[in-house]
Amino acid sequence: MEFRKGSSLSISDSSKKEMASDTGLELLIEQTISVITNDGRNIVGVLKGFDQATNLILDESHERVYSTKAGVEQLVLGLYIIRGDNISVVGELDEELDSNLNLSSLRAHPLKPVGH
Amino acid sequence: MLFFSYFKELVGKEVTVELKNDLAITGTLHSVDQYLNIKLENTRVVDEAKYPHMLSVKNCFIRGSVVRYVQLPPDGVDVEILHDATRREARGT
Amino acid sequence: MLPLSLLKTAQGHPMLVELKNGETYNGHLVNCDTWMNIHLREVICTSKDGDRFWRMPECYIRGNTIKYLRVPDEVIDKVQEEAVKRPDRRPQIGGRARGGRGRGDESAGRAGGRGGRGYQDEGGERGGRGASRGRVSGRGGGGRGGSRGRG
Repeated sequence: MEFRKGSSLSISDSSKKEMASDTGLELLIEQTISVITNDGRNIVGVLKGFDQATNLILDESHERVYSTKAGVEQLVLGLYIIRGDNISVVGELDEELDSNLNLSSLRAHPLKPVGH
Repeated sequence: MLFFSYFKELVGKEVTVELKNDLAITGTLHSVDQYLNIKLENTRVVDEAKYPHMLSVKNCFIRGSVVRYVQLPPDGVDVEILHDATRREARGT
Repeated sequence: MLPLSLLKTAQGHPMLVELKNGETYNGHLVNCDTWMNIHLREVICTSKDGDRFWRMPECYIRGNTIKYLRVPDEVIDKVQEEAVKRPDRRPQIGGRARGGRGRGDESAGRAGGRGGRGYQDEGGERGGRGASRGRVSGRGGGGRGGSRGRG
């Protein structure tokens, strides 16, 4: 709206605060999330914490390895700290949708690395 | 701050975010922050057969640094307003 | 919980660090800072492809070269105690009065808010090295996630 009005592009403190709680990952704390990293890996785990730089703490995490030759393979990783600048996407895992997935029959190329 | 302000205007609209790993995610823009990190709701990946990696994800946070393009809804583009905002930004007011 | 608090708590514990270039470093965390720079002791470095190894008594890794860190599961249970014990860990803007009053207890209060925990004495948790070192696991190396009894 400020944008349209053109009076000012600056953001008031109150809306900044609002954004901060709206934009961050706090709603995902203690939830199972699916992270896609810049090197193309997919890691699933429980989000225990994060910070400004999008560094994440993932507990009970495992990697889902995609390949075209076989179904998705899951590797147990455990407790991980993932550095923010290595993160592409943090997705909220819908447990119901996920349990309906048949991972062993899913085949796909691994995701490409982002490579800046 | 121009793009931050601009994206805030688009909240609630449907956009497609193409990432630098070629993944393209369509969803309703839920929020954006100063780093242009983007939150989408009700997401679906373009070409799910090729990219089944996010099949059980419906809401996601995308790090601004990995965004290549954001495909905008046609009614989200008003050239006049963008021109004005750009000039104001350049003037630093 | 902040990732850097968890890392700090992992001092003295073994960990695996993978760098952006694919090399992995296994060693015991000596220290770290707010940039995630870390100092490891008794290190085994593994090349990206997982077929070459180097041992070194210690090494120092610049934070921004790190991709991720894998830390022992039990470390997460020890974080809270630290946060309560040292409310001054997070530098506060403005006067840092002794005893961390004023703005200082905001963070302490927040840290204290989640889940019950006791004020425990900080036990040793230091010297426990030497035992289970050298489980090297790189992506190519195939040893990933082997002996971790979880999940």
